Amino acid sequence: MRTADLVLADLAGVVRATFPDRDYSATVGPHTRAFADLELASIDLVVLAERLEAFYGRRLAFGPFLKGLRDRGADDLELGELVAFLQSQVV
Amino acid sequence: MPEVEVNGTRLFYQQAGNGPDVVLVHAVTSNQAVWLFSGLTDALAADYRVTTYDLRGHGGSGRPPTGYTSAVMADDLLALHAALGLGPAVLVGHSFGGVTAMHAAVVAPAAVAGVVLSDSFFPGLRHVEPNFGRMAIWTDLRDTFAKVGVALGDVVDFTRLFRETAALDADKLKALEDIYGAFGRGWLRQLPKLAETTCGGDVLAEAGLTAAALAGIAQPVVALYDEFSPFLSTCRWLEQHLSRCTVEIIPAAKHLAVLDNTAGFTDAVRRHLRRLTTAASTPV
Repeated sequence: MRTADLVLADLAGVVRATFPDRDYSATVGPHTRAFADLELASIDLVVLAERLEAFYGRRLAFGPFLKGLRDRGADDLELGELVAFLQSQVV
Repeated sequence: MPEVEVNGTRLFYQQAGNGPDVVLVHAVTSNQAVWLFSGLTDALAADYRVTTYDLRGHGGSGRPPTGYTSAVMADDLLALHAALGLGPAVLVGHSFGGVTAMHAAVVAPAAVAGVVLSDSFFPGLRHVEPNFGRMAIWTDLRDTFAKVGVALGDVVDFTRLFRETAALDADKLKALEDIYGAFGRGWLRQLPKLAETTCGGDVLAEAGLTAAALAGIAQPVVALYDEFSPFLSTCRWLEQHLSRCTVEIIPAAKHLAVLDNTAGFTDAVRRHLRRLTTAASTPV
């Protein structure tokens, strides 16, 4: 299975490529928050999901993952949680 | 990113599932994330090919300065429909998304198998809603903005909302973001961008979708209106004047049923879609 560090590196690269006009020069880590730190909005997560699917070359179960965030009243999404989700989806 | 160029702009879209075509059309100031985060896309993708997209000016789509009436939005929708090679589709539209869907049904009936409305107000039926300008959802918005010193006025004015938000300093915008929370941040950020367009006035224009045009829609229409909707008179009008209109009230919702009562709304949409698509495929 692809390690968490490698998936985090993948994710950081896709985030920077997806939002090239935003400054993500600081280190992106597992506790970096999508909304508070990266200042992403919910639609940005939809765009990012599409780019991650293109990156990994497969459909990923983002629908249930994102619905789960809302269902539990999450205020934010740490990238570590997104990494764990991606690890479960890609070999 | 999956996009199509239509009518001088580009539309960001997503598709999921297989089966009869269903297109989900969001409300003004919203975007297609609402369908994904509520789970409606996935719930429907089990049985349908679901297309979601961002209206012009919204989400990841282009933001031209003009063209935000239901007439142009319907043209955009139909151009997207053609570009993606969709069959006759059931359109599910929330609020202004429903107005767009109904306008598409008038303009291109062959492309629209049916419409499911979620709490839509029609400018062409303004006479049915004499208190439109002073509805509770605007009052709530006005009261929230007043907390950061912004006066929005007593009557619905989207243009004013967009321009006042664009004029906020960073501290006041942050204060509003804290009130609306992480998922409201995207909605707030969209407002100043819409101030650069004619959206505010356009979405309240009749634009040819008159009462007579609405009454002439022959496709099946499902009117899902919220229990605490400000537009229940509109719901009754549709039931009385359209030849094939079914009404269902979504409990515990006050204009955002997909979020206020996700389970109830999703169940209603699935039931009615099953009925509409079964009837369409049943030989006469």
